[in-house]
Amino acid sequence: MSGQKERIVLDAAFQPQVRTDRDTRRLMLDVIIALIPTVIVAVLQFGVNALFLCLIGAVSAVFWEALYRFLFKKESNIGDLSAVVTGLLLSLTLPASAPWWIPVIGTMFAIVVVKQLYGGIGRNFLNPALAGRAFLLASYATLMATWNIPKALSGTVDGVTMATPLASLYSTEAAGVMPAYFSVGRLFMGYIPGSMGEISALAILIGAGYLIYRNVISWRIPVSFIGAVALITLIFGKKGFGNGEWMLYNLFSGGVLFGACFMATDYATSPVTLKGQLVFGAGCGLLTVLIRYFGGYPEGTTYAILIMNLCTWAIDKGFRRHQFGVTKADIVLQKAQELAEKEARR
Amino acid sequence: MIHTFKGGVHPNYMKAPQVPISVVAPPAEVIIPMAQHIGAPCKPVVQVGDTVRMGQVVGDNPAPVSAPVHSSVSGKVVAVEPRPHPLGDTIMSVVIENDFRDTPCDDLKPLTEEEMKDPDVILKRMRDAGVVGMGGAMFPTHFKVRGGIGKVDKLIINGAECEPYLNGDHLTMLNFPEQLLKGIELVRIASHVEKAYYGIEVNKQDAIDLLNSLHPEQYGIEIVPEAVKYPQGGEKMQVFAVTGRRVKPGALPSGVGCNVVSTRTCYAVYQACYEGRPVIDRIVTVSGSAIGRSFNALTRVGTPLGYLAEQCGGFVKTPRKIVLGGPMMGICATNFDAPTIKGISGVLYFTEDEDKSVKDPHCIRCGKCIEVCPMNLEPIFMYMYYTKGDYENLEKYHVMDCFECGSCAYNCPARMPLTHAFKTAKLMLQAKAAKEKAAAEAKAAKEAQK
Repeated sequence: MSGQKERIVLDAAFQPQVRTDRDTRRLMLDVIIALIPTVIVAVLQFGVNALFLCLIGAVSAVFWEALYRFLFKKESNIGDLSAVVTGLLLSLTLPASAPWWIPVIGTMFAIVVVKQLYGGIGRNFLNPALAGRAFLLASYATLMATWNIPKALSGTVDGVTMATPLASLYSTEAAGVMPAYFSVGRLFMGYIPGSMGEISALAILIGAGYLIYRNVISWRIPVSFIGAVALITLIFGKKGFGNGEWMLYNLFSGGVLFGACFMATDYATSPVTLKGQLVFGAGCGLLTVLIRYFGGYPEGTTYAILIMNLCTWAIDKGFRRHQFGVTKADIVLQKAQELAEKEARR
Repeated sequence: MIHTFKGGVHPNYMKAPQVPISVVAPPAEVIIPMAQHIGAPCKPVVQVGDTVRMGQVVGDNPAPVSAPVHSSVSGKVVAVEPRPHPLGDTIMSVVIENDFRDTPCDDLKPLTEEEMKDPDVILKRMRDAGVVGMGGAMFPTHFKVRGGIGKVDKLIINGAECEPYLNGDHLTMLNFPEQLLKGIELVRIASHVEKAYYGIEVNKQDAIDLLNSLHPEQYGIEIVPEAVKYPQGGEKMQVFAVTGRRVKPGALPSGVGCNVVSTRTCYAVYQACYEGRPVIDRIVTVSGSAIGRSFNALTRVGTPLGYLAEQCGGFVKTPRKIVLGGPMMGICATNFDAPTIKGISGVLYFTEDEDKSVKDPHCIRCGKCIEVCPMNLEPIFMYMYYTKGDYENLEKYHVMDCFECGSCAYNCPARMPLTHAFKTAKLMLQAKAAKEKAAAEAKAAKEAQK
């Protein structure tokens, strides 16, 4: 034994000596699992092409990430699955009618320009998937706004494409009167046209519930985001004060739920402070409604989140909490003292 | 009602309280380091060739913040020289060759019933018996208790044992409940307080029930059940959970009228007063994947770590680190010849199985460190300023309030070395403050000369 001891080299490792099993890879895997219901709904409503687009998004995102890190001689980190999440999220914001190269271009912008050029995972300041989507919206406006009729509505309306509930909601001629096939219940279930991931509120909420249950994301951003949209549309409804139907249509159409649960909760681009997360979510909600009401563009979620992404650093700075043992009275006292000192110096 | 605090983590507890206490045969040679407490190290009071008895004082220092050290075996002093210390470096130590007779030393006599009502006698006995904070801090108990007299109105006994693996406190409660309650009563009397609160995590429900069945109220003790969460046993968390009082940043619990004493310390006080026995042994939980099993080993102070492993069946796998104490706050020993000391509640021989660190960690900004920090700090920003060497902002983000519980680093999915960074940052800041103070003093002295 003593002979063996001589050869053993002991580490003076960092404390703590044990760590949770849950690493970055596991968190990202949980996000992928949480997206499964929305992918299933997309396939049910738009056919196998939806699955095909999702896979292309995921594979091309991994490809761009691996390529970039190989070219710039950085250690590969595709094992953390974050690129898969980005690719999947980007694909889910596309219409099912999009050609296969759309997610390839989108993920290139998302991964290379938005994520890797700023140093890779955790360093980007814009949500890569949303920035990729914004890039595609600007570049391929028509392709990005061609909405196939979902299986649930085939036969109900003529043609191949149709307007989304959100477009109907805000179109001037309809004046907020929705066609019968856009009932709140059908919106909730996802029997509507739209981006692949956003149509079914039910599927999104199942995924979000899983993420919150697994403590992958906190409830703060989704709840404050959705809460803010609900509150504002309830108070300032276009069909008068306190119209619940108007509020529900605003929640279940467009990307509010998908954005609140999967996009605004992106780790790198949302605040880490607890109060900051509430402020961030509320800000996203407010901007979404403002863009919908007054913007020149029907959907506000993408830009609302991107704008709030830019405010994240400031929010984190502004909404710090007091360390344990410091009460509000202490803070007031300290501020008073500082003021008094300033006065004295004068 | 179950008491707790905000934040914290639920590590894999790996506890094995069902393993009965085993007695580790004393080694042929014990090494008694002169520093087994915070404060002034002892000076050896024996010489090479001296015969010593078990429990005899071998090192002492009259400084107020100090505690004597005793021989844990009887035998002959074979060396008085610097030897490896478990917490690193070499420290002056007394090496005693064991004669395996355990001839007791009767310098300390059991206290009489009258004496045990006198706080001063109890405090003196705590010192003479070398009682220090045996939860791991190793702060001399007599000094802590004396310092709290007049300020402290609530004595809190820490029975959380929130660190994974460790079972020593739990087994002490189960095997020596009456002795433990008597020990707590002595600390309570020495502290001049009416009531002691014994905070125990509810994963030790059997111990809570047993202690409650012995009528703790007749000793002036109330058992407080606490949630199973790490770091429930942290001093400030313990004070908050039991009393709802918040210790101010940078202050001691006595600032809000509380003193926190650990379970094993109270048992040591019992042994010192009722049995006249100084601190020469303790239950050490020996575990880890290199050992493959768990032992709750009654171990003499001064038992070399390599010998301890051999006594616990030897290694089934090659160890990579020896963790002293629990795995969350415990630090690593790097020498098999270093001995156990009073404050070591566990010795964990870990292999790479327990190691989850990665070579090039990337923060993903998930904020999970903030969620769990029991001190309400923001580790993510502290780490950022640490990597930049930004002292000013490190202070603004209250790195000095971090008590290195390890919750943030434990919970970090990206495996950032957070706690290690804050430990270093605190040392850097302290060094900087000392330097600035010295510079200011030198300047003042110069001006005074003018």
